[in-house]
Amino acid sequence: MNPTVIKTIRATARSWTGVLSLALLLVIAAAALAAPVLGLPDPADMAFDLYQPPGAAHWLGTDNFGRDIFARVVWGARVALIVAIGAALLSILIGSALGAVAGYFGGWVDGLLSRVFDIFLLIPTFFLILLIVALFGASLPLTIVAIALTTWPRSARLMRSQVLTLKSRVYVQAALAAGAPHWWVILRHVIPNGIAPIVTDGTILMGMAILTEAGLSFLGLGDQNMVSWGSMIFEGQRHLRLAPWMSIAPGVALLVLVASLNLLGDSVNFAMNPQLRTRGGAPKRRRGVAPPADEPAATAGAPILQVTDLRLEYAAGDRRIAAVDGVSFSLPRGGSLGIVGESGCGKSSLGSALLQTMPNNAELTGGTIRYDGRAIVLDGKPVIEGGRSRIEALRWTRMATIFQSAMNALNPVTTVRRQMVDTLRLHRPGMTRDEATARIGEVFDMIGIPRSRMNAYPHQLSGGMRQRAMIALSLILEPELVIADEPTTALDMLIQDQILGEIADLRERLNLSLILVSHDMGAVAESCETVAVMYAGRIVEIAPTRRIFDRPAHPYSRTLISALPSLTGPLETLDSLPATGSAAAEGGCRFAHACPAATALCRSTPPPAVQLGGNHVAECHYAEEFAAEPVDAAEPTATEEACA
Amino acid sequence: MRLLRYFLFRVLQMFPIALFIVVINFALIHMAPGDVSILLAGEGADPDYMASVRESYGLDKPLIQQLGAYIGQLLQGDLGLSFRTREPVIDIIAERVPATLLLAGTALVLASVLGVLVGTVMARRPGSALDAAVTTISISLFSIPVFWLGLMLILLFAVTLRWLPSSGMMSVAGPREGLAYGLDVARHMILPVLSLTAVWLGQYVRLSRSSVSETLAEPYVTTARAIGFSERRVMTGFALRNALLPIVTVLGLELGLLLSGAVLTETVFSWPGLGRLIYEAILSRDTPVIMGAFLIMSFTVMLAALLTDLLYATLDPRVRL
Repeated sequence: MNPTVIKTIRATARSWTGVLSLALLLVIAAAALAAPVLGLPDPADMAFDLYQPPGAAHWLGTDNFGRDIFARVVWGARVALIVAIGAALLSILIGSALGAVAGYFGGWVDGLLSRVFDIFLLIPTFFLILLIVALFGASLPLTIVAIALTTWPRSARLMRSQVLTLKSRVYVQAALAAGAPHWWVILRHVIPNGIAPIVTDGTILMGMAILTEAGLSFLGLGDQNMVSWGSMIFEGQRHLRLAPWMSIAPGVALLVLVASLNLLGDSVNFAMNPQLRTRGGAPKRRRGVAPPADEPAATAGAPILQVTDLRLEYAAGDRRIAAVDGVSFSLPRGGSLGIVGESGCGKSSLGSALLQTMPNNAELTGGTIRYDGRAIVLDGKPVIEGGRSRIEALRWTRMATIFQSAMNALNPVTTVRRQMVDTLRLHRPGMTRDEATARIGEVFDMIGIPRSRMNAYPHQLSGGMRQRAMIALSLILEPELVIADEPTTALDMLIQDQILGEIADLRERLNLSLILVSHDMGAVAESCETVAVMYAGRIVEIAPTRRIFDRPAHPYSRTLISALPSLTGPLETLDSLPATGSAAAEGGCRFAHACPAATALCRSTPPPAVQLGGNHVAECHYAEEFAAEPVDAAEPTATEEACA
Repeated sequence: MRLLRYFLFRVLQMFPIALFIVVINFALIHMAPGDVSILLAGEGADPDYMASVRESYGLDKPLIQQLGAYIGQLLQGDLGLSFRTREPVIDIIAERVPATLLLAGTALVLASVLGVLVGTVMARRPGSALDAAVTTISISLFSIPVFWLGLMLILLFAVTLRWLPSSGMMSVAGPREGLAYGLDVARHMILPVLSLTAVWLGQYVRLSRSSVSETLAEPYVTTARAIGFSERRVMTGFALRNALLPIVTVLGLELGLLLSGAVLTETVFSWPGLGRLIYEAILSRDTPVIMGAFLIMSFTVMLAALLTDLLYATLDPRVRL
C-alpha cells in the first residue's frame, strides 16, 4: 500500500471520532450481512401481538401488524447499505470517468463537460428522483440509479480538478512521452493517483444516498418489497401517538449510520490535511511581563532595534522546532540590515517575531527585543505597560512592514485607497477623508504609482504596482522602521531591481531604518549597509555589506555569494548546496554536514563567534583563514552602486 | 455597469439550462411506462379533455414536433391540469408558494445567520475541545433525517407536553386577521422551523467554520493585525468579509437540497405548502402536478443560482466577464 494511505489510516485511527464511527459502521455492516442467520423473527411475519412496546419478547416492540421492529431495523440496514454502496459506486464510476476525461483532454471537451456538470448540479436532485420514481414506479435498483444520476457531477468535479493538477506531473508526462495511449495513462496513472479525495467524498455521497432513499420511502415511494427504515418511519408516523417506538427505532438507526459515515469522512479528511484543524484562529493570548524597573529612558544614541539571544520555536505535533535559535543583532537608527538565508532558515520567523505576528503554533521561548532602548519583548514575553502591550503602540506608526504582495497581503475585496484610508484613520482618528486622500496621493507620488490607480482593487494592479501599493501602505504613517519580508520575490528581475532601488532611495530620503529579509544575496547587497547570513536558525555571519562580499568568513556565506550569477563576468557553474537537514546536528557546527571544508573539530564542537574586526563576526572555527582568502565569484555590480 | 453586464450574461446562460431541464422532463414522460396522454392528462380524464391534450401537445406528430409543442405549452405558462382537482397546475402551485416561502425562508435565515456566527466563533479557536465538540455536533445535526426530527419534535412538544400544535399552519377555528392571526401562525411555525433550522444549521456551521479559518490564515489578515486593527475589525472587515464568498456560493448551490428538506418537513407537519402538495400528488398519482412541481423547483433553483452569482459579483470585485 502506498505510504500516504497508511499514514492517513494511522492518523484516522488516532482520532476518537474516526475510531468510533468506523466501529459503528462495522457493527452495522456485520448486522446487515448476518441478518438471515441471526435467528431473528421474520421481519414480515405478522403476529397477533400488535403495538407491543419494547420489552423482553420484542426488544424494540412490534408494529401495527405485530411485526418485530428489531428484526425490521436489522433487515433495514441491508437496504440502507445497498443504496449507499450502490449509489456511491455508480456515482463515483460515472463521475470519475467523465471528470478524468474533462480534466485530461481540456480544451473544448473540458468546456463542454464542465458545463454539463454545472447544469446537473443546478437540477434539484431530490425532485428529479421523485419524478423518476413517480413515473417509473418504486423499485430499489431504480432508486439507486436515480440517486447516482443526480450525484455524479460531485465526483466528476472533484476528479476533474485532481486530474488538472496531476496531468502536469512528471510520471504522467513521462508515460505519454514513452508513447503510452491516452486511455492507458488515464487508467493507469491519473485515476489511481487522483482517487483519494473522491473516495473520502464517497462516505458523504453514501450518507446523502441513504437520506434520499429514506426521504423517498417516507413519501411513500419506497420499494414495497423491501424493509427500509424510511418506509418504517412512513408507517410509524400514522401511529405516532399509539406506538411512538415504531418511528423512533428506525430514525435512530438512520441517524447513527449517516452520522458515522459523515464523521468517518470528516476524520479521514482531517487525517489527510491536518492543518485544516488548526490553521487560522484568533491570535494566541501570550502572557506578558511588566517593563523592567531599571529601564533607562529612551536615549538619542540607542539603537532603534536591539535583539538579544532571541529564540522562537514551532510546535509541530509533539515535536518542537527551533526556527530562531539564539539570534542577536543591533540596528542603529537610520541603518539598514539585510537578513539572508535559504527558505526554512528562520529569517521570516525572525521577521514575524520582531512584529509579534507569529502564527499560533510559534512561541518566543527566550530573548529580548528593545525598540529605541525600551524592551518590547523580555525573556520571550511581550512587555505590557498600562494594560497595553508595547508593540501595539509601535504598530504601523513607528514600525511597519512590507509583505510580499503577490501573496494576498492586501485585502482582495477592498480598494487600495480604502485600505489606506482605514489605516490612516485607525491611527489618526481625527483625520477627514479628504485629508487622508491627500496623504495617500503624496505617498503614491513618492513611490511612483499614478494617483489614478488609487481606486483600483489589488487584483487590478500589475505585480510591480501591487508591490508598490504595499510599500505605500507601509509608509503611509511615516514609520521609523520598516521590515520588508521578501518584498520582491515573485516579481520579474527588472521590476525587482526597480523596487529595490526605490526602497533604497526612500530609505535615504525618509531616513528610514530598514530590515530586509530575503533569500537573495544580490537584493540585499543593493539596499543594505549590513548583511546578516542566517543558517538553521542562527546568524552565522554578520558584517558590513562591502566586507562580506570581499572577505566572507563563513563557508555558507561564501557559497551564497558564489551562487550569485554574474551578468557581466564569464559563465561559471553555480554552486548549490544540500538542504538544511536534521543533520544540523547537536554538538557540532550546524553547517558541518554540508560544508566542503568541515573537519573533525567542526563536527564535535560548536564554533565560537569569531570577531574579525570592523563589525565583522562569523561563527566558524576557521573564520580567520576564510576571511583571508577572497571569494572567487564576480562581484555583483549592484553592490558597488548601493554601497559606494 | 460591470454588474449589469455580468447579470445579463448569466441570464443568457440560464436558457440552455432551462431547455435542458424541460428536455429531461419531456424525455422522462416519453420513457415512462404507460400512455403519454394519460400521464399528461391524468388517469380517468374525460375523453374530451384527453382529446384536447392530444391536440395541444401534438401527440400524433413526430417526437421533435411534440417537444416543440410541449415547450410552446410551457412558455404560455400551461403546465396542464391537475388530474385530481381539474385546476390548472400553475395556479395550484402558485397558491402554495407563499406558505413554503414563509417556512423555508424563516428557517434559511435563522440557520445561515446562526451558522455563520457559530462557525466564525469556532474558527477563532481551531483545535480547541469546544471546536471539536461543535464539529461533531454539526455533523450529527445534518445527518438527522429531517422528517424524523420533525416527528420526534411532535412527539415531545405536541403529544407529550402539549405545548405546541402538531400540524397545519393555523388553528381550525382560530383568528384570521390581525396580530392574533400572526401569533397563531407563528405558534404553528415553531416546530417545522425548528426541524429545518437544526438540520441546515449543521451545514452552515461547518461551512463557515472552514471558510473563516481559511481566510484567517491569509496574509492580508496578518497585514491587518500588523497594522494594528482590533480583532473585531480584523474579523469583520477582513476574515468574514472574504469568507462570505464561498459561503454565499454554497448557499446558492445547495438550495435544491434545502428545498427537498422543506418538502419532507411540510409533509410531516401538514404545512400547506408546495411540499405538502407534492406529497398529496404522489399519493393520488397526480403526475401533471409532480411534473409541474419539478419544473417550478428547477426554475427556482436556477433563479437562486442567478441571484447568488449576482450577490457574489457584488461581494467580490475580482469577478469579471
